[in-house]
Amino acid sequence: MRKIVEVKDLVKGFGRREYETAVLKGISLDIYEKDFIAVMGPSGAGKSTLLNMLSTLDKPTRGQIILDGKDVTRADNKLLSILRRDKIGFIFQEYNLLDNMTLQDNIALPLSLNGEKSRVILEKVERMAELFGLKPHLKKYPWQLSGGQKQRGASARALITQPEIIFADEPTGALDSKSSKELLTSLRLANEEEGATILMVTHDAYTASYAKQVYMLVDGQIQSRLNSKGDRKFFYDEILQLLASMGGDRE
Amino acid sequence: MSLFGLACSNFKRSVKEYASLIIALAFSVFIFFNFQNVVFSDSMDVLENFNKDYIDMIVQAASFIFGVFLFFFIWYATDVFLSQRKREIGIYTFMGLDNVRIGKMYAIEAFLIGVFSLAAGLVFGILFSKLFQMLLLRISDISVDIRFSFSLPPVLITSVIFGIIYGIMIIKGYVSIVRSSVLSMLSDAKRQEMKNENIFLTIFKVVLGLAVLGTGYVFAINTGGLQSLVYGLLAVILVVAGTYLLYGGAIPFFIRKLTENKKFLYEKERNLWVNNLAYRIRRNYRTYGIVTVLMICSVTVLATSIALKQRYEKMIHFQEHYFCQVTAMHRLDKEQIEKGISEKNQVLYGNEISLTLLNPDVFHRERGSYGIVPCSVLKEAAKEAELDFPYEDIKEDEAVYLSHVYLMSFMEFDPNTTAEIGEESYHVLAQDDTAYLGRLQESMNIYVVSDKTYEKLKTLGLECFIYGFQIAEPENAEASRAYLDTLVEKEGDSFTVGYNMFLPDRGEMAWIPIMYSLCVFMFVTLILAAGSIIFIKLNNDAYEDIERYKILKKLGVSEDVLKRAMKHEIRFTYYCPFVLMVITSYFSVRALGNVMKTELTTVNVYSAVAIILLFFFIYLVSVRAFQKKVLK
Ligand SMILES: Nc1ncnc2c1ncn2[C@@H]1O[C@H](COP(=O)(O)OP(=O)(O)OP(=O)(O)O)[C@@H](O)[C@H]1O
Ligand SMILES: [Mg+2]
Repeated sequence: MRKIVEVKDLVKGFGRREYETAVLKGISLDIYEKDFIAVMGPSGAGKSTLLNMLSTLDKPTRGQIILDGKDVTRADNKLLSILRRDKIGFIFQEYNLLDNMTLQDNIALPLSLNGEKSRVILEKVERMAELFGLKPHLKKYPWQLSGGQKQRGASARALITQPEIIFADEPTGALDSKSSKELLTSLRLANEEEGATILMVTHDAYTASYAKQVYMLVDGQIQSRLNSKGDRKFFYDEILQLLASMGGDRE
Repeated sequence: MSLFGLACSNFKRSVKEYASLIIALAFSVFIFFNFQNVVFSDSMDVLENFNKDYIDMIVQAASFIFGVFLFFFIWYATDVFLSQRKREIGIYTFMGLDNVRIGKMYAIEAFLIGVFSLAAGLVFGILFSKLFQMLLLRISDISVDIRFSFSLPPVLITSVIFGIIYGIMIIKGYVSIVRSSVLSMLSDAKRQEMKNENIFLTIFKVVLGLAVLGTGYVFAINTGGLQSLVYGLLAVILVVAGTYLLYGGAIPFFIRKLTENKKFLYEKERNLWVNNLAYRIRRNYRTYGIVTVLMICSVTVLATSIALKQRYEKMIHFQEHYFCQVTAMHRLDKEQIEKGISEKNQVLYGNEISLTLLNPDVFHRERGSYGIVPCSVLKEAAKEAELDFPYEDIKEDEAVYLSHVYLMSFMEFDPNTTAEIGEESYHVLAQDDTAYLGRLQESMNIYVVSDKTYEKLKTLGLECFIYGFQIAEPENAEASRAYLDTLVEKEGDSFTVGYNMFLPDRGEMAWIPIMYSLCVFMFVTLILAAGSIIFIKLNNDAYEDIERYKILKKLGVSEDVLKRAMKHEIRFTYYCPFVLMVITSYFSVRALGNVMKTELTTVNVYSAVAIILLFFFIYLVSVRAFQKKVLK
């Protein structure tokens, strides 16, 4: 298996010098091709902070993140732009679709800006729409879509460039259970059939159960990890057990 | 806090935030005031002695144009203001204010901004009034001493007109707030405008827009005759309406079609900026309409100025083609007179023309002075006076009417005109305003006829001889007066030989150069206004775009790509009105040329070049301002 991301002893603190409080306290992890990882943890544990670091939106205080053989913590803005464009896909909690174009154009955006041929783009958009069940909605504008459709649209946009890895922060945060299920099913399909590598952050056990591995982030450190044995329902119970054992008073 | 207090504190904040709008309003007040000030100043008094009617008419026309301009400009400025304020003011509904009170608050705030802008515009206007007048007279080539004069009427007129227009806009805004629901106020920025419109309605709009604009153009081309005023007015109304319809129909339709053509859309950065345009144009169509109309006005005004200048020079040329004309009831020796004048002045050319004076009843008229000139004589005289004479052989039943240069005329020459002279009817070939007989053509109706016809009609009237001369230095004409006086002969009470000397005195027409310099100023004003409206609008758009560009950056779209997309979009916002202006101004300038009887096509080229240079500059500034705001 090919290693896509390698994180070495990652530390992130906020604030100045002596007032600095460490949010991430030395995190190391490897992400391999076709992984589907969920990072869980209580609020304020540093999940979003970690994701921002990995997805190059923020820089760590110490440590290394090696993506595609390059240390992104040392990369300049230009290289970061290129990495974001070619290697990384994003799914945000608040969708972040552009409201002035149709869903189809939104999904096509990354490829069209990369200078791909329009014929190829149209084909790929079609395939993504199929995968995410968006075919009837391609001509609609974001405000004409439901939250779930928007999030699936954003996922399709993230996947269309076939990035090395996709980062998702609370992708189901704003969705009801039915929309969540549709989205997660699509993501799993993308992982299994398209071979997409996905890392998502969530505090929701149900969402996490769709992943293959769950990392538990507590107080800035990875406290434990679980591997799915294939059955989602079983995995869900395992996650709940782990949460309970951590003394969590969570659902 | 009281309503007034709330409005005041809002106003304080908005002074900074809406600085560009306040500057725009103050600028329009400034221009309008200065224009009025010139009208009421002493410098105009000097000129009014000469030609009050003309001046009044043209000042009124110019005031009207400025009024229209002010109206559009203020309308636009307050509209932008209103939609921005609505969003913010809407929040007050949560503080328990009802629509009426919010409306009142808006009105007070808008009122304060208006008063502030008016005061600022007037203060600067008064400070710069002398400079403005000096510039004006400088361009007009007129030397009048300008004192720093301050009079109340221009201040009052400016305040009243601004007050009325701005007042209407405040009331409009108030009504719109009172009528709107809380939700729509808050979501005024929410974009619902890409809603699918009924395809038939769209097609209807597209067709209507093109048809209205086209009809306007046809009317514009057909001006020149007696109907000019009606046609001109119709053309203006139709073109303005058509321009608006075009921006509301055909252009968005076309861009929409572009966004649907994915083959086109997914190339380069188009997916970004063409979509952005398509989204914007519907809500911005009024802005584009205003800008385009302003630009057309500006070019037309410039054309007016140049036409005035051309006509003015032509009139001067016509009137000063001979420095003096000697009229004699019997033949004199031309060489002799020339020699006499040569004693004090260098003679450039001179000629002799025989002219038969006819009673008006020969022409079946009650009064007026009439005369005929034989073709061959005039041909010879024209050659001597260095004038073209394009009529080779005038047939026996034909004639050419000699007119003079008018500033403008709504008369078109009808090729089927006939002149009834005596018993016969003559076909009038042409109406010619070449100065063959100089200023005599201004006071007499003179026809050129064939030599045979002349011989025949000569018997009905009285033949006399006209000797016209031009000297190298017309300023020195007086020196030859003594000699010319010796030529005068009298028989009883009436002169048998007399002369007319035309001294270069342009006082009577001094208002024309004033007008054309005013027009140049108007051109500059209007075009700056058009540019600044686009600029304000773009600035406004940039605020909206900040979120969008943030998303794009998160997605890893590089700044270069974003900058290119921005440039394309901004370029379009300047080009689109420009292209429409170029097309429309071709017709408007042609209409003007028809009425002023002069060729103005070069004006189109020059003005287009001037505007594109100016716009290019504003475009560069816009791009920088936009990028700074959006990319931080
Ligand atoms: N820019 C910042 N400056 C200072 N402190 C920050 C900053 N961003 C995050 N933090 C702090 O870092 C800690 C971790 O934040 P983070 O957003 O990563 O939590 P999280 O695990 O995503 O929580 P949640 O589940 O609520 O989203 C929090 O205590 C937060 O206050
Ligand atoms: Mg978070």
